[in-house]
Amino acid sequence: MEAEPGLSDQYRRASPWPVFVALGIPIGEVGIVFGLFPIAVGGLLLFGGSAAGLATEAGYAKTPWRALVGAAIPLAALGAGFVYTAISLPTRGFAILAAAVILVAVAAAGTLFAQDQQPPY
Amino acid sequence: MQVNGQLALTVLMGLFLVAVAAWVARVENWRSYTPVAGGGGYGQEDSYVSNEKPSGVIRWLTTVDHKDIGLLYGAYALTAFVVGGLMVVVMRLELINPGQTLISNTFYNSLLTSHGITMLFLFGTPIIAAFANYLVPLLIDAEDMAFPRINAIAFWLLPPAALLIWAGFFPIGDIIPAQTAWTMYTPLSVGEGLGNQGNAGVDLFLLGLHLSGVATTMGAINFIATIFTERGDKVSWANLDIFSWTVLTQSGLILFAFPLLGSALVMLLFDRNFGTTFFAGEGGAMLWQHLFWFFGHPEVYVLVLPPMGIVSYVLPRFAGRRLFGFKFVVYSTLAIGVLSFGVWAHHMFATGMDPRLRASFMAVSLAIAIPSAVKTFNWITTMWNGRVRLTTPMLFCIGFVSNFIIGGVTGVFLASIPVDLVLHDTYYVVGHFHYVVMGAIAFAGFAGLYYWYPLYTGRMYQKTLGKMHFWLSMIGTNITFFAMILLGYGGMPRRYANYLPQFATLHRLATLGALILLVGQIIFVWNFVQSWLEAPKIKDGDPWDLKDSGLYTAEWDWFDRKLQTAIADGGEEADVVPDGGEEADVVPDGGQEPESDADE
Repeated sequence: MEAEPGLSDQYRRASPWPVFVALGIPIGEVGIVFGLFPIAVGGLLLFGGSAAGLATEAGYAKTPWRALVGAAIPLAALGAGFVYTAISLPTRGFAILAAAVILVAVAAAGTLFAQDQQPPY
Repeated sequence: MQVNGQLALTVLMGLFLVAVAAWVARVENWRSYTPVAGGGGYGQEDSYVSNEKPSGVIRWLTTVDHKDIGLLYGAYALTAFVVGGLMVVVMRLELINPGQTLISNTFYNSLLTSHGITMLFLFGTPIIAAFANYLVPLLIDAEDMAFPRINAIAFWLLPPAALLIWAGFFPIGDIIPAQTAWTMYTPLSVGEGLGNQGNAGVDLFLLGLHLSGVATTMGAINFIATIFTERGDKVSWANLDIFSWTVLTQSGLILFAFPLLGSALVMLLFDRNFGTTFFAGEGGAMLWQHLFWFFGHPEVYVLVLPPMGIVSYVLPRFAGRRLFGFKFVVYSTLAIGVLSFGVWAHHMFATGMDPRLRASFMAVSLAIAIPSAVKTFNWITTMWNGRVRLTTPMLFCIGFVSNFIIGGVTGVFLASIPVDLVLHDTYYVVGHFHYVVMGAIAFAGFAGLYYWYPLYTGRMYQKTLGKMHFWLSMIGTNITFFAMILLGYGGMPRRYANYLPQFATLHRLATLGALILLVGQIIFVWNFVQSWLEAPKIKDGDPWDLKDSGLYTAEWDWFDRKLQTAIADGGEEADVVPDGGEEADVVPDGGQEPESDADE
């Protein structure tokens, strides 16, 4: 492999993802509760992306792209619940849906355009 | 304006995400995604801690090693202990004189709320997680926790949780701290009426608490999985150590109690922000109390069981005997775990609930004293005729037993309905539970911190300072909280920023005790930090001479192997001697001196 080994390859007991999974949750929560659309979307993206990275690194997913879809599905369900059920908080629901859509879009782009056939992790 | 605000937030959020992506790409050295040139700044070959971890700050941000995460939990918990402690010092100073106005009443209420939440959720639970993370895998001969990354996530949720809980104290817009007390009773916490509890600071506080609950639950699932599946070949249920038993039971309690707190908090947030009415109307306040205490009472045992485990583990090492009645200490742990879910309404005897229900909760509350007493008798019997060595950790263990008896017996009285109706909402209750949380739980924490100090620092603390810390804490605790019990008998209601002149003497006594505690804790911090930096390194894998009495355990064996490896590698041999003739202070507290061998 040409690439230098990454942190989680080189060091068995290190991973860059947990701290960002943990940051994504409160940022997303604060965004949803206070109705701050960009904060909610950004927090959920951070959470979903880091969770996908973590799943890939731990070997639960072969590539991060499918894991991103895996993170997007429950978000989409939650967002739809906010918009279409008795909860009826459409703006917040659309924020959650938007995060899910972006995660799927990144997953699609990654699947189509990523150069590394065999990612180094 | 609105659009501009949204735009600014979007840009900021986007920049933040790009920065995160760039940082991750850089530490991971992704060939096709590395926007930052050079890439070699992190984890270079010549500056690694071991083959397993990068060095410096990056090590601590990215670690998934249970020992590192244990240290992070410990640092976090002790920081929170300092914050919560300083908050209460301000409150006690306010209470020196009746009618004193050092701080406003609303600020007193804010400190009161944050002191409780900080000590229970940001100090108590994390300090237990610190011990459990560091020790359980070593004790059960596991390589690491079952889910090391989940372990790291559970820790990293806590710093944002603390910032949210304390958000109201920071100068951010017109956000004010929550003044709901840690019980967050409705309708006050719903924010209705003329008060100021509709403020966004309370929402942030609730979110932070929710987050800390999520973190605790993740940790608990991890401990259950670890103890069930990761035990070494030689570790069976029959010889599982007492500390791991208590952590397992505690994790079970967390698994059932904390999700309920999370749900109740979400319902409260919805009531506050989205117009739901879960806690409105006639039954609403009672519903909150039932939900809260269904979580809240097991939480008490979540906080006390592992400290009991620490005492059951450490106390026999300095009594020169194995723990008396080991099996029954385990059974009593499990019994407390089960019974703890049947006592919650004893917090609500004065609410006017159905008297028949009340009687059943009284019965179970009295019954839970039995397994607690089983433990107490077993600790005392372990010391009976033992070769007691009064080292600092042993002193804290004995202090634990002593204070736990006072805290426990005062609790038995409160479990009785007629007594409770007289003492409810007085300082008696405050004195009772502080005997348990400060006198017992924090003491067990100190016992553990001192006992395993050589294990996690590779050095020994200063013996004299350790004993000063113990005696100041023991005296301070008993002055402060016994005065509170007497105040309660006199009818002083809790939670007030002011009081009638007749209570002045006892309040001053309580403040004096709190200041003694403060001095003791300053000594502790000094000893802890200075010894870590400057004390001579331990060369013996058995710093407490446990082999002499046949009480050597797995974690010290691990420590010994680590020392042997280091010597074989040619490192760690340099001896660091503290300057200035302080050598008398840094003698290992190993009971090697003749005076501490009681029966010679």
